Formats: sequence, structure tokens, C-alpha cells
Amino acid sequence: MEMHFDQHISRQFNEDLESIKTEMLEMGGMVARQVADAVDALANADSELAEKVLHIEEEIDRREMALDEHATLIIAKRQPAASDLRMVLSVTRIARDLERIGDEASKIAKMAIALTDEGTSPRGYTEIRHIANAVRKMLNDALDAYTRFDVASAMATLAEDEQVDMDYRTAVRELITYMMEDPRSISRVINVLWSLRSLERIGDHAKNICEQVVYLVEGADIRHGHEKNLKNF
Amino acid sequence: MNTMTLDAAGQAEPVQPKAVEQDTVGTQTKVRETVGKPFCDSAKLRMRNVNVFYGEAQAIHDVSLDIGRNEVVAMIGPSGCGKSTFLRCLNRMNDTIEGCRVEGELSLDDEPIYGAKVDVVPLRARVGMVFQKPNPFPKSIYDNVAYGPKIHGIASRRAELDEIVENSLRRAGLWNEVKDRLDKPGTGLSGGQQQRLCIARAIAVSPEVILMDEPCSALDPIATARIEELIDELRENYTIAIVTHSMQQAARVSQRTAYFHLGHLVEVNDTETVFTNPQHELTEAYITGRFG
Amino acid sequence: MTDLSQTKLTQQQVRERIEQRLASRHRKEKIFRGLGIASIAFGMLAVLVLFTDIISKGSGAFVQSAIELRVHYDEQVLGIDKVDDESLAWANFTGVIREALRERFPEASSRSEKRELYSLVSTGAPFTLRDRLEANPELLGQTETVWLTADDDVDTFVKSLSDSAEGFRGRTSDQKAGWIEQLMASGELKKRFNTTFFTNGDSREPEQAGIRAALMGSLFTLLVTLALSFPIGVAAAIYLEEYAPKNRWTDLIEVNINNLAAVPSIVFGLLGLAIFINFFELPRSAPLVGGLVLTLMTLPTIIISSRAALKAVPPSIREAAMGMGASRMQVVFHHVLPLAMPGMLTGAIIGMAQALGETAPLLMIGMVAFIVDVPGGITDPSTVLPVQIFLWADSPERAFVERTSAAIMVLLSVLILMNASAVLLRKKLERRW
Repeated sequence: MEMHFDQHISRQFNEDLESIKTEMLEMGGMVARQVADAVDALANADSELAEKVLHIEEEIDRREMALDEHATLIIAKRQPAASDLRMVLSVTRIARDLERIGDEASKIAKMAIALTDEGTSPRGYTEIRHIANAVRKMLNDALDAYTRFDVASAMATLAEDEQVDMDYRTAVRELITYMMEDPRSISRVINVLWSLRSLERIGDHAKNICEQVVYLVEGADIRHGHEKNLKNF
Repeated sequence: MNTMTLDAAGQAEPVQPKAVEQDTVGTQTKVRETVGKPFCDSAKLRMRNVNVFYGEAQAIHDVSLDIGRNEVVAMIGPSGCGKSTFLRCLNRMNDTIEGCRVEGELSLDDEPIYGAKVDVVPLRARVGMVFQKPNPFPKSIYDNVAYGPKIHGIASRRAELDEIVENSLRRAGLWNEVKDRLDKPGTGLSGGQQQRLCIARAIAVSPEVILMDEPCSALDPIATARIEELIDELRENYTIAIVTHSMQQAARVSQRTAYFHLGHLVEVNDTETVFTNPQHELTEAYITGRFG
Repeated sequence: MTDLSQTKLTQQQVRERIEQRLASRHRKEKIFRGLGIASIAFGMLAVLVLFTDIISKGSGAFVQSAIELRVHYDEQVLGIDKVDDESLAWANFTGVIREALRERFPEASSRSEKRELYSLVSTGAPFTLRDRLEANPELLGQTETVWLTADDDVDTFVKSLSDSAEGFRGRTSDQKAGWIEQLMASGELKKRFNTTFFTNGDSREPEQAGIRAALMGSLFTLLVTLALSFPIGVAAAIYLEEYAPKNRWTDLIEVNINNLAAVPSIVFGLLGLAIFINFFELPRSAPLVGGLVLTLMTLPTIIISSRAALKAVPPSIREAAMGMGASRMQVVFHHVLPLAMPGMLTGAIIGMAQALGETAPLLMIGMVAFIVDVPGGITDPSTVLPVQIFLWADSPERAFVERTSAAIMVLLSVLILMNASAVLLRKKLERRW
């Protein structure tokens, strides 16, 4: 079944659905940018960039609320069914994930500011870079899959989360050895750990977005390990 | 999605209706067979390969469907898709239409509905009907409800008849509104009350199946909500088949939903499935308003 | 296809165009309304003229001149000595009247004068005396004052006096006119209500002619017609509307019924003559045969109007009853018929009114006969109102002119009564659904 949201008898309905999808993807673009900036700020000890990330956070919150209201109006006016209903629901759910990702990015930005204040070059930046790249790719792929209603790509992206989780656990173990080696570095390394933790969470949210792609296209809810709901894949 | 084929039959019963090998006019989609779950274990009404003709024109193409005991099955579809025609086959109301011919096996509790030896009078007593426009007889409220029991000789004494009338009106949720004016004409009630009177009239002969042909299309939302509530209550004792133009209504009152398209039964599925994730693209297109 | 973007009419231009046409549209509207009013006015005028003409001509027939005479029931003159059926049949009441007249006007001496004198009262006057004596046998040998019906010539002259001072003389001589004026001056000649007109049958003498026989004949004929055509018509309509399949045969029947309604009524008369009288040898001039013929004639009307009434019953009622498991007959008799009945009755009454006014077919079956006796049943020879009108209109006596108009008035009032009852029935029986 192909997804067409531009063939309703009501043109207004087409436009409404199109516009919440666009709003959500715009929001996704902002959030992806925010994650990239936060990681850069951390890596380059750029507190100015970090401040900018914190500033954008408010804009994202505002957009999430606007999107919610828009979706509520569509439900009230159009009583969407089937794919339309799934479209509206998935958009609102993804918006929530995006907002959470924004929150995590803000946390990273706050860590960046804290680390900058404490001095440069803590250990663990390599790990951060590595995981950050993987997570950013996941987020971009997830949004891309949503744009193209591409279930295969969403499933592939979803699988990447496991690797990220593994990388995260490895990094944590490594940072623990750092702390054991040099107890004075503990406070700084914990900041790095928090950032890693945020990145891992962002990966989880990207995974959620992929699940919503599957829900939108196939109508199957595969959250919380219910992949079997997606038949014949 | 294009890479996938949905094979709903895998989860339905192994028996499948015969394939329909005709092009559906007006769309590029070929309706070959009904997808979803057209059959059930405890079928009250069983229809197999039903074809209905109006003279030369075929109105229903090879429809197979079960309606289960104490189940509400909703039939939806665009105007002229044959859903009303199909509904009216179930108590042979099509008999009165000149040139209408019904083929296929239809049975109620495994007894045939059509056939030379079948008497329609007891059949219609078992399969009651509620129509689109509330059509109470131009008689008193009491006489409206008492009519069925009277002609079928159900009540022998006046007291018995009184009891049937009261019970029927109570079950139709109308008793409290009309108990003081049973001798007033039924046509003097409001539209919603008239429709509930018609339902009371239908259940007065204790039918097993109630057919409803767009019962709320002439009613306001409050009256509609009352009828829908009533349908839900009636489900405990009756099997109900309802044709409706309101998809929300189908979603609210039914357990299974059947989607008709140009005389073909395209999809039958659990109502939740039909309204969240229909399996046939024609169903999807219809319920999301993508037709035309 | 007109491309809207090419015509580019502004709203202003559109409004102007509409306004340009507005005046002519209103004018046409007015012209059409005027035409409608004019046609109604024409119709009303025609009715008014007809009514004034008939009423002005016919109203006179409801009064009749009568002469007051002192009559002596002289046994010798009468030639009887007791009052019984036999003697009454023999008795010479004419002589009594002549004597009374001679007594009143002793100046009439010559034969011709006497003949003039005797012709003052109707030839039916002796019967009035006989009836009186029969009712009161003790009057024999006594003298009493009675009002006797005047002759039609006298009546015509008296009535014409109100139009002109001279009055219409006709056969009335100067001397006779003098006597009449004398009687009028003394109050011995008066115009009294004409009960004879409503109690008698036809007669050669206008002053003795009445419409009772024709009225009763019409009544019996209509009863036969109603008793036959209503059940047959309704049954046929129900079958055609509710039971019959729609095929070439029923189409043929329908066309024929419609055609039958347009067949000239005289054809039905010929048919009645050939079948009922010649073949079945039913009595001539009888309301039975008239009713049969009129049944044939009104059947199409009743069938057509009954079918229309059945068609007007909303199908939802039929569906409701059928859905309850009512059999076809139960559907028809419990639901359809009660709703269609007002329409059917209206149709039947209109058909009856049509039958009441019918003349031609009845001429063919002999209901044009001269009937003096009021018919007592459907096999007695009789005539009907329109035929009576036809007969009187043909009669030479001037006094029949007003009787013709009076009979028309009676016929019209019966028709109006029937149509009014149709409207009332409809109002009373009609139910909203």
C-alpha cells in the first residue's frame, strides 16, 4: 500500500496533513542541528555555541506545543482514520521524541559549558565523537525514512541502536578505568559520562522515530520489542 | 511497502470465498477476493457466493460473509455499492422489488433463507428490520408495538400484549417517555423517538436478528447517540447487521466491519483493524476520504 | 466550455446585467399573473351567468298559483251516498268544482264562457278533493273552503304579471284575465309553495309535474352504481397496484382502462342495451340496468383515482408492515387501505357525480320513458334527473320552462352536496403521516 496524503476529497485536509508533517520535519531539522552543535561545543570547548544550543531549546518547545495543537485540531475537525490517523499520531509522538532529543542536546550543551569552565581536554572525547557520529546518523536516517515512508530503511536504522548501546557500555567501562587511574579527574569524567548518557538516550529516541515510521506505513506497533507485530518482514 | 504483499488470509480461516474475476469499473483496482475475516465460528447468518441481479444488472458479486451470534456487523461503502441490497437479502425484502433475483446460499441457523418451501412470514418475524427513515404506522404508539405480536398471534390475552408492549418499549429505552401517552399517534413523536419506536416494534416479536438500514441518517446527533447506545445494549440478545454511511458510527457500534465496493465485498475485518489499519487499499481510500 | 477567466466579468458588471433584465422579468411575471386572474374571472363569470339564468328562470317553479274555492261536497253532484274506495273512484269531483266556480262567477253563462271558467283550475284539482274526502269522510254533504291548484296557463299569467303590467296572456282570454285579477284582488288567488313539484312524478300538465320520480330513479340508479362500481373498482385497483406483476399484460390492461375512461358514454348505453336488456333480458327503463351501465362508465374513473390514492401511500409504510412479517393482504388491509380510503372515496364520489349527470347511455336503455309513478325499487320503470330535464326542456307548455330550470337547480344542488361531502370526507378521514 502506498502512502498518499494528497488525494483526499477535501483539499484542506491534504494541506493540513502536509503541513503538520512539514512542521515536524522542520522541527526534526532544528533538533538534528542542535545535537550537532552541542557535540561540537563539547568537543571544541565552545561555550558560545553551547549557549546557542540552550537558546534554541525554547524554540523547539514552542514548536512541539504548536504541532500538538495543530494535530488536535485535525483530529477534532476531520476524525482521521487509518493511515491519516496514524500520520497524525506518529507526528505527535515523533514531536515528543524530538523535544526529548532537544532536552538531551541541552544537557550536553550544559556539560560543554561546565567542562569549558574546568579546563580543556578531558579524557573520553574520542568516545563521545564516535558515539555522537553514530547517533547523529541514526537521527538523520530516521527522519529521512519518515520523509520517504521507507520501512526498510527505518528497520535498518532501528538495528543500529544496538551498536550504539554496545559502544556506550564499552565507553562507560573505559571511563571508569580512567576514574580509577586518576581520582582527581572523577568530576570531569562524570560530566563526560552524563554527555555519553544523553547521546545514548538520543539514539533511543531516534529508534522511537523509526518505530513510528513502521507504525505509520504498516500500522504495526513494534515498540517495546514487539517486532513480531510486523508481519512478513 | 511496495515490496510487501499483505496476505490477510493467513490469519483468517482457511476457507476462502470464490475469486471474483471482474474488473471493477471506475477504479484500476481489481477486486478478486474478500480480504480479512469474512467468516466466524458461531455464525447466525451464513451467506455464501451471493449474487443479486436487478434485471440484467448485477448488484452484488459473489459475496460470502458470516454474521456471528450476538455480533454487530457494520456494512459500509459508497452509495450504490450494494450494502443495502445485501442487507435486504437477509430477510427477503428484495422479494417485493420487480426483477430482483438472488442467487447463492443464505442460511439462518443453517436453515435456508431462500427456497420454494421457505415462508417469508416467519422468516421476517425472526429477522426484524429497522429502516432509514423512521416509519411508524399512522396508529397509536401502543398499536405500533402491538402490531407484530397481533398478526403473528404471539399474545393471546390483552394482559400479555400489554406486557410485550411495555417490555419492548423499555428495551428500546422509550417507555419512560411514552408511558403516559400510549394511545397517542406514533407519528407525533420526535424523529429519534420514532426510530426507537420502530426498534421497539421490531423487537416486540422477539426476533433473532435485527437488520438496520442506515437507522440514524435522519436523526440529530443526540438521537443518534441514543440509538447507538441502544444497539450496544441490544447486542446481548440479538444479532445485528447495520448499514451505515457514517464511518464513525460503524466504528462505534460494530465488532466487525464489512466494506462493499461496487457490489463486491472488498474487506471484512475487526472494526479496530478496519479503522486503524485496513488491509485493502480501497477500504483505506474510502475510510480516509480519498475517493473520487 | 466557457473559460471563466476569459469572460472576466466583474461583480459590478454582473449586477448591472441582472438589473437590466429585472424589469422585463417582473413584467412577464405580472402578465402571467394577470392571465391567470383573467381566466379565473372568465370561468367565474360563466358560472355566474349560468346560475343567474337558471335561478331566475327556475325559481318560479317553486311557487304555484292556487285558487280558493268554497266547495260543497254535494251527494247528488258527486253521485255517491257513502265514502268508500269504489264510490270515490266513481265520484264526479269535477262537477263539484264546476259548481263551485259557477257559484263564484255567476256571470259566466255561455258555453264558451263556462269552458273558460272551468279551465281556471288544474285538471288535477278533482284528485285534491278526492284525497280530502277520503281522509275526512264526514265532509260528505258539507261545505268547506279549499285551495285548488290553478291551471298552468293561469299560473304563467299570474307569474308574468310581476314582469310587466300586461302579463303574458297566451291562451288566456280578456274575460279570464279579468276573473284572475278579481280573484287576486280578493286574495282568493295566491302563489303558494309548490309541494307538488317535490311529491309528484312527471305529468303532461305542468302544474302537476314533479321531480320526485326522477329523483328516486336517480337515487336507485346511483345506489346500484355505487354498490357495484366501488367494490369492483377498489378491488381492481388494489390488484393492479399491489399484486399484479409489471409486464406487457398489465400494461395493456392499464392502457385499456385509461381508454375506457375516454369512451363516449353513449357507447356504454348501446352496450347495456345489447347485453343487459337484449341478452340477459333485464327490464327496460329500470334503475338496475341504468346502474349497471353507469357502473361500466364510472369504473375507469374509480379505478384510476383509487390507484392514484394507493400510489400516494408512502412505500415506507408498506415496507414497515412487510418487515414485521405481515402478509400481503395484511399489508393492504391494515395499512395501505385505511390511508388510501379518503382518496378512494373522493374518487368514488366524483365518479358518482359524473354518473348522476349522465343522460346519453340511459336514453339507450329506455330510461327516457314518461314515468308518472314514483319508483319503489330498482326494477320499477323510472327515469333520472338529467333525463327528466331533457324531457321537460322538450315540452311545449310555457310552464315547463321554469320547471326545467328548477329541475336543473335540484340536480346542481345534489351535485354540490355530493362534491362538498367528498371534500368533507377527505378532510375528516385524511391522516397525516
